[in-house]
Amino acid sequence: MSASATSEWVTPPTRPELIESLVSGVDRYNPSNVGILEDYLFHQIRSREYDCLANLAILKLYQFNPDLYNPDVVVNILVKALASVPFPDFNLSVALLDDRVSNANLEEPDPLPGLLPYLTNLHSLLQQCRFPAFWTLYRSDTLESLRDNYTVEVVGFEDSIREVAVRAVKATFQKIGSKRLSSYLDLEGAELEEYVVKLGWKFDSTTGVIEVPPNPDNQIASTVVQEDIKLQQLTKVISHAISAV
Amino acid sequence: MSQPRVSLWATEEIDEDLQVDVNLAIGNYGQNGLYDDAQPRIDEATLIAVQHQMAQQAAFAQIPDAVKRFIVHFHQAVLENNLAEITVAYESGWNRLTEKHYSKTEWPEAEVIAPLVNDDQLFLILYRELYYRHVYSRLQPDIDDRFHSYENSCELFNYLLNSEDGPVPLQLPEQWLWDIVDEFIYQFQSFYVWRAKVKTKTEEELVMLADLGQVWSAYSVLNVLYSLIQKSKINEFIIAQQQGKSEAEIAEIVGDYGSLPLYHMLGYFSLIGLLRVHVLLGDFTLALKVVENVELNQKNPFTRVTACHVATYYYVGFCYIMLRRYPDAIRIFVQILNFILRMRQYHTRSYQYDQINKTADRMYALFAICNALSPSRLDDNILNIVKDRYGDQFAKLSRGDEGLPAFEELFLYACPKFISANPPPYEDAEQLAAYAEDPPPEPAQRHLALFLADVRAQAAVPTLRSFIKLYTSLDAAKLASFLDADEEEMVQQMMAVKAASRSVSRVGNERNLLDGQMISTSDMDFIINENMVHISEVTVGRRFAGWFIRNTEHAQRVLDGVKNSPLPLAPKIATTEVESKPLSTQQKKVAWGAKV
Repeated sequence: MSASATSEWVTPPTRPELIESLVSGVDRYNPSNVGILEDYLFHQIRSREYDCLANLAILKLYQFNPDLYNPDVVVNILVKALASVPFPDFNLSVALLDDRVSNANLEEPDPLPGLLPYLTNLHSLLQQCRFPAFWTLYRSDTLESLRDNYTVEVVGFEDSIREVAVRAVKATFQKIGSKRLSSYLDLEGAELEEYVVKLGWKFDSTTGVIEVPPNPDNQIASTVVQEDIKLQQLTKVISHAISAV
Repeated sequence: MSQPRVSLWATEEIDEDLQVDVNLAIGNYGQNGLYDDAQPRIDEATLIAVQHQMAQQAAFAQIPDAVKRFIVHFHQAVLENNLAEITVAYESGWNRLTEKHYSKTEWPEAEVIAPLVNDDQLFLILYRELYYRHVYSRLQPDIDDRFHSYENSCELFNYLLNSEDGPVPLQLPEQWLWDIVDEFIYQFQSFYVWRAKVKTKTEEELVMLADLGQVWSAYSVLNVLYSLIQKSKINEFIIAQQQGKSEAEIAEIVGDYGSLPLYHMLGYFSLIGLLRVHVLLGDFTLALKVVENVELNQKNPFTRVTACHVATYYYVGFCYIMLRRYPDAIRIFVQILNFILRMRQYHTRSYQYDQINKTADRMYALFAICNALSPSRLDDNILNIVKDRYGDQFAKLSRGDEGLPAFEELFLYACPKFISANPPPYEDAEQLAAYAEDPPPEPAQRHLALFLADVRAQAAVPTLRSFIKLYTSLDAAKLASFLDADEEEMVQQMMAVKAASRSVSRVGNERNLLDGQMISTSDMDFIINENMVHISEVTVGRRFAGWFIRNTEHAQRVLDGVKNSPLPLAPKIATTEVESKPLSTQQKKVAWGAKV
């Protein structure tokens, strides 16, 4: 596989030129550019795109200019980062959130300190592949404000979390029971069937078993790493043999 | 003055008389109006100036002659741009004199030695750079020192970057250039760490801190580094070199500034400096992005300054750890640790050697961490050294949840000294008090928490591996009963184990530091088929080719040697030789073996 796993993460094909010049240059430090990057974030939210480095640039501007801080933007960045597990985006974003001295600038109380522990919790559940627990916590009453104010705005948030689960399942299973899969995807019955068919997997309704198509991760074969003997290593031996003859 | 039992009243008068006498004896250096409040300003100022001058003269007199000679010699070398002399003075002269005369005190202030160098401003800036570096490393800088060292650094960079006539013709040894950048960032970091400690500040310091302005602001530090990078066009240079452009083309690309070694090296060192600053502030992707074009191998022409080389590897390796790219981090650490082992014999010059060793120790700790999280079969040599040094912690690391305290210990020991970009609210006394009451956690603790979250996600790996290794296929329910765990939870753990065995890594030819592919890092793989777990192992076959080739070549050499050596005498000829020995004295010219 020659395609780099990280090239899309570093430079998403959906990133416009203006953002590219901002992210890769010195202009990213200019506080007046924060509006451009924030607008780009909202564009990502509405159109199912994702650009990790541009969002990190916003957080960096907040780091140096505390008066630009906008907690809604931060929560949205973290929510988007949840969907990119197993990439380390969530941790990278939290690393840039300096401990904030409470600013008197905000009109409403800062929601971030309340939400951050829950978001961190959701993230670790995803990292440990504990998907049923994730859905339970996500749908619980404690996270109602997260759902109503933030994730509802992010188009396709739940689907993107399902994609995280699908990535993990794809790597580990060749066949998986439908009950198990439905608990991971938080989908039941007909919806589950529809989703699975859309993925291109085979759903066997008689046995309730779903077949995962082969991919590099779920094929195993006991291999013995043989050593490669290159021709150069043998040149001396061969040349000597020839001259002796 | 023998006047016993004088009343108190009388004694005071006598004292006053004495004082007036002393004043007249010294002279009228502006002390005329000392007690006359009608002319306060000018006279006080002159008095202070005079006192200052007297103090300076006294200080000047105290400077040892050797030091004075050194300063004059050093100044001469700088004026003549004599790089060899400057290097000698900088590397051995300064350190020797520090050890001898100034190991516990400051060097004389720049104003005091100014007459020795004819008030040459450039030299004084350079001198102050050394002066403050000495203060920061051996003594405790106070708030004035911190402010002044910042101003001095700004003056120096201003001179280098913004001179009207373009690039300055100054030449300095590379080691010094690296030390300038390194020290600048160190002072920045030291200031932030000091500033975050609210409780120990005096009143005066609080006032000064409330009104900082640009002093040691993150923006100004970044500005300096970016300006140096842009002026010297170092990034363009590296890319052009990688593309194999000719000397002439490269010279055109880098322009006036970049062609001078001073700016060229400063540009490169600023790249590494930026890498360091971004890591300190917690931005690991940007740190790697800044040095993405730098080639990390020994052939790089920038490896002449060992301290810089080691620092680069340390920070890049650390970034990889925070990005969860453990195989990459391991490879980086192994490379540099082997380099340090080999270079050890050449680098016994005191302060550099100590610093490099300290960094090496931290990298051994980081290597231990990475190895536990992503076992590899790489360097046994390094592995052995790590086991020696961190033996008991190393053993604990591979024990899942129990190993967390060991991870914490090693991480805190080995991580860089993170800083927080935001200062405590010195401008607002009320907020400051609240801050002092309930300070936020230190940056290092925050990053530790993030790292431990990653570790916890892999906590299930060691136990599961030890069971799975014993089977080729196993029922999930059975495995759950072995582990005494709920089956569904165990299946989820297995998905996590599978995820942990995949990392992004640079294999083969990726030049750019951020590139990579998803590879498998475990020697054991498994998949789940409904409820059956199938396991496969990757083993390394016996490597006999190398052994055979070596021995074949050895046999060849022996055979060749035998073939080319002189032939021994045949036995028949040997007996006739014995008989003819008496004859041989007369027949010395008999051809060998030509008997009969």
